[in-house]
Order: sequence, then structure tokens, then C-alpha cells
Amino acid sequence: MDEQGCPRCKTTKYRNPSLKLMVNVCGHTLCENCVEMLFVRGSGNCVQCDTPLRKSNFRVQLFEDPTVDKEVEIRKKVLKIYNKRDFDFPSLREYNDYLEQVEDLVYNLTNNVDVENTKLRMEQYQRENRDVIQRNKAKLTREQEELEELLLLEQQSNEQRRLEVLQEEQRQLQAKRKNKQALLDELVRCTCCMAVCMCNDKSSDAISELHYDRCSMSDRQTVSLQPVTKIEDVLYHYRPLQVETYGPPVPELEQLGRLGYLNHVRAAVTQDTAGGYTSALACYRAIQDAFSGLFPLKG
Amino acid sequence: MATRVGFVIAGVRLLRRSFVAVFSTAGDMFHNSSQKKYWIFKSEDEIEHMRNKANQKFRNKALESGKPGVSESVFLQRHEEDVLFRHYERRLLEFCNAFKPTMPKSVVGTALMYFRRFYLSNSVMEYHPRIIMLTCTYLACKVDEFNVSCTQFVGNLVQETPAGQERVLEQILEYELLLIQQLNFHLVVHNPYRPMEGLLIDLKTRYPTLESPESLRKTADDFLTQAAMTDAGLLFSPSQIALTAILNSASRAGLNMESYLTQCLGLKEEKETLSKMYDSMRRMKTLLKKYEPPKLQEVNISKQRLERIHAEFASSSNKRKRGYEEDGHVAKEPRLVEEEWTDEDLI
Repeated sequence: MDEQGCPRCKTTKYRNPSLKLMVNVCGHTLCENCVEMLFVRGSGNCVQCDTPLRKSNFRVQLFEDPTVDKEVEIRKKVLKIYNKRDFDFPSLREYNDYLEQVEDLVYNLTNNVDVENTKLRMEQYQRENRDVIQRNKAKLTREQEELEELLLLEQQSNEQRRLEVLQEEQRQLQAKRKNKQALLDELVRCTCCMAVCMCNDKSSDAISELHYDRCSMSDRQTVSLQPVTKIEDVLYHYRPLQVETYGPPVPELEQLGRLGYLNHVRAAVTQDTAGGYTSALACYRAIQDAFSGLFPLKG
Repeated sequence: MATRVGFVIAGVRLLRRSFVAVFSTAGDMFHNSSQKKYWIFKSEDEIEHMRNKANQKFRNKALESGKPGVSESVFLQRHEEDVLFRHYERRLLEFCNAFKPTMPKSVVGTALMYFRRFYLSNSVMEYHPRIIMLTCTYLACKVDEFNVSCTQFVGNLVQETPAGQERVLEQILEYELLLIQQLNFHLVVHNPYRPMEGLLIDLKTRYPTLESPESLRKTADDFLTQAAMTDAGLLFSPSQIALTAILNSASRAGLNMESYLTQCLGLKEEKETLSKMYDSMRRMKTLLKKYEPPKLQEVNISKQRLERIHAEFASSSNKRKRGYEEDGHVAKEPRLVEEEWTDEDLI
């Protein structure tokens, strides 16, 4: 996840990707643990550049390259001061010049080029344009507030819509339940063939539900409420498989004992019966084989 | 392999005979078996016709191969083929009877049936019966779940050296797939032994007129063994063969069992069925009477001619597994280097 390691404890980064890196004003990284360690022993100095640091100066690193983070911090500070907008300038050219100035400052501060001079320039600008700065600050805050308000409104409307949908579902469920109850009441009262039909036809429930659903939708649409056609089907009857054996009928397995066949068969030893074997099974097999195909084919 | 659901306990001695009673669903009875559908023929003529066709097929093939000095007189006639077939069938039976461990009767029956079926559509001139007979036995052991390892199997060829046994095993394995193909992959054979047991049980239960059905067992058994050496298995269902065996042995003992058929089997009103059954029984008995064990002289003469044909027409294809070739033409490759094992090596 992160190729760079913490310069102090070096190894921990690779082993624990969830560990966060912190960046400070000098642009060097330290993992959370090392930050704590450093400030246990009083205020510390950066490991690489030895600048005195405060704990509050550490921010969670957002970018892989710590120099980017450093630049982002500096830019934020600079823009707090240099906060003129495009309509403050009479022409585009001057606005661009102004922007270039700002970039120069940021670059200088990030790369430690001519830091003193840059800072002086910044202070000078600040003094000169104090009221402009104030005005712009106020405007900025106002714009931000407006944006926030819009967001809030959108959220609220979303929430309302969701509630409405839920309520609609509830209403439908209740309607369905009421209708089912009404149907049952009707059946109880009316004992004619309708009830018999309903009972036989398993799918009637589904059909009647659909029917009533369509009715409830009728206030929004006009649907022709035709009577639903019932599909009558022949009830399935199990018929056991008939196999032609071309021989005399074989007695049933269960009857063999009663009919006396088992007397002429070796009785099953206890070891055999353990597995579910009975002498009737072997007897049945022998009789089946004896009778199968005994009669000649017709024709 | 014959797949059967549930219950095989080797050594379940159910009836007094030692056979493995396998319980299975009603799905694989004789009446819906491949044997009934494809391997039961209408008449002896039909069977003879098939054998003639096989003979002719080989002749045509041999003539087409364009070898010089080949004439019709080289080939075996049908009756000579028959003599050889019967001879090797007896060798098969002897081999099985001398087999260690003891081979169950159903395995022997299956092997004989395979042998018979194979030579319905193939000629002895093309595939030498001495190898086919061992292949049939080997396959029958597998199908009937009579577990014998291949080394144990060839170990029963007592006259052979271990090296010779190896060679025989190789040959068996070569021909195995061909055999299965020629059987049309119909491997399940229903033998008359279990039906006979069933009929005896039924007689004891429902037919008190016959005092001791057990006394019929020995003669009936002999009848079945003899019937296995005829075409009876290809013409009648195994239960019919079993019934004929029992009725035959009863009539030999001077007992009349007609009332069994009419009463117990419910054929009192079915005059036509009854007459048909008696007809089949008569035909079967005729088949058995017609059977002659082959005479040694004839056998030797035919054997010599057979060896000559095999030596002559063995194609020089390099050694490939039989039955794996697409075009269906399978040839026996010449074994000129090693000495051929002969019939005497068998027993």
C-alpha cells in the first residue's frame, strides 16, 4: 500500500498498512507511533531537518508524497491572505499576474527558496490590503453558508421522499390484508359452489389477490375488471408401473412368508440380518428369475 | 461391469448351492434384458445362417487380400468349424472346472455364452478359439464379480512356465476389447441356475404332489450343463430351460408333472401357451440329443488346417491392441519369434 516507510521506525509501515503517516511543516513524515514517541520526551525536532516542532503541527498525510502535503498547507495559509477574486481586478491580464505572484510565493516557501524575502513581501501585502482581505473573507463565508443551506435542503427532500414511499407500501399491505379478510368473510357466508371451486383451485388465492390489487390501482388508472379465467386441470392419479414379465405372476415380497416359501429357503444368519438382509429377499429374487420369461411370446 | 444396487456379501450361502445371491431392483430381470432383446433368436436356422455368414465373410476377406496360391479348398467348411468350436468349448469347460479358486456356475455359464455369441458373427479361422476361450473366461470373471487377479487367472494354466503365462496374459488383454465389441457391449448374461433354484422352491411350496423335488436336482443340473453346450441359450429363455430340465428329470424318474403347469402356473385355460411350451421343450430336448462330443481324429485334422490358415493369413500389422482400430479390421499379428503355446498347455 505504501512504499515509503517511516524514517524513524522504518519497519512498522510495511507490517501495518493501517498505520497513518503524519506530515509536519518541514515536509517530513512520521508515523503516528513515532510522533507520540517523539513528544513523550518533550518537544522534539524533526529527524531529518532538525527544525523544532510542535505536536499540533502534525496533520494526517493525505498524499503519498509528503512534499505535496507540505505545499498544500502552505498554499492554504497563503490563500488566507491573498484572497482576491477575479472581479476585484479590472482586466484578466492583471488577475493572471496576481495569480502568478501567489504561485511564486507558494513555490518559494515550499522549496525553501528565499524564505525571508517572501515572508516580508507577504506581510507587506497584508498590511496594504487589509480591508480588501476582510471584505473577501466575509464574502467567502457567506457563499459557503449558502452552499451548505442548499445541501441541507436537498437532503431534507430526499428524506421526505423516502418516508412517502414507506407510507405508500404500508397502505398497500393494509389494503391487501383487508381484502383477504373480506374474501374469507364472503366465503363463510356464501356456501355455494364458489367455495368448492376456490378450494379445488389452488391458484385461486393468487388470482384473487391480483384481482384485488388491480382494483386498488384503479383510482390511479382505469383497468377493465374482467373476471379472471380459471384453468381447470385433471387431478393426477398415481398408477403403479406395469411391467410385462412374460411369465406367471410373482407373489409379493411381503407375502412370501405367509405363503410358506420361506420354509424352503435357508434362514438368514444374524450377521446377515444386521445389514437388513432377510431370507425373503433372496427367495423373492429366485422366484422372480424362475418366472420371468417362462411363457412363450405371443404370436 | 454389471452394476447392481445393494447387497453383495461374498459367502452368503442362501440356498444349499453356493452362489452369491445378489439382490437388485426389478430393472435387470430377464424380461427387460439385452439378452432377451438381442440374443434370443427364433430358430436354429437363423443361427446357422449367421454362422454361415461369418464363415463367408472371412473367406471373402482372405481372398481379397490377394495372397498367391489361395484357393477355396484351404478354408474350413462349416462342419469343420463346428467340430473345432465344440472341442474348444469342452476345453473351456474343463479349464473352468479345474480353476482355483472354485469358479461359481454362473461364471462358467457366462463364459460359455460369451464364447458362443462371439462365434456367431466371427469365424474360428479369423480368431483362434484357444485365445478367445480364455478371454471369455477372464471377462466372465470380471462381469460376474468373481474377483480373480489376472496373474492368479493365468496361474491356472499349469503347463505353462511363468514367462509363458505372461505371454498368454498379454494375448488375453489384447483380445479383451475386441470380445466386448463383438458382444455388442451386452455383458449381462442370465443363466438358468437361479431360475432352477426358484422353481425348486416353488415346487416345494405349492406342489405337494411331488414328494421330493430335491431328488430331481442332480439330473436337472446335468441337463443344464448339457444345455449350455448347445444353442439352447440362444433360443430359449433361462427359465424355460430350467423348467425343461426339471420336467425332463421328473419324466425320467417316471413322475408326471403336468398338473404343475396347469394348476400352479395357471395355464389351465391357456391351451395355446401350454402347447407352445411343450413344443419348446421338445425342441430343446432334440437339441440336447443332437449334441455329439467331437471325435479326436476329426478334431486333429481340423486343427491342423486351422493352424495353417492362421499362419497363412496372419497379417503383418505391427502389434496394436485389438479392437482399438477404427476400420473394424482386426488382424492377428504373427508370433514368429516366440514359440506358440498349444492346447496341451492348457490342462
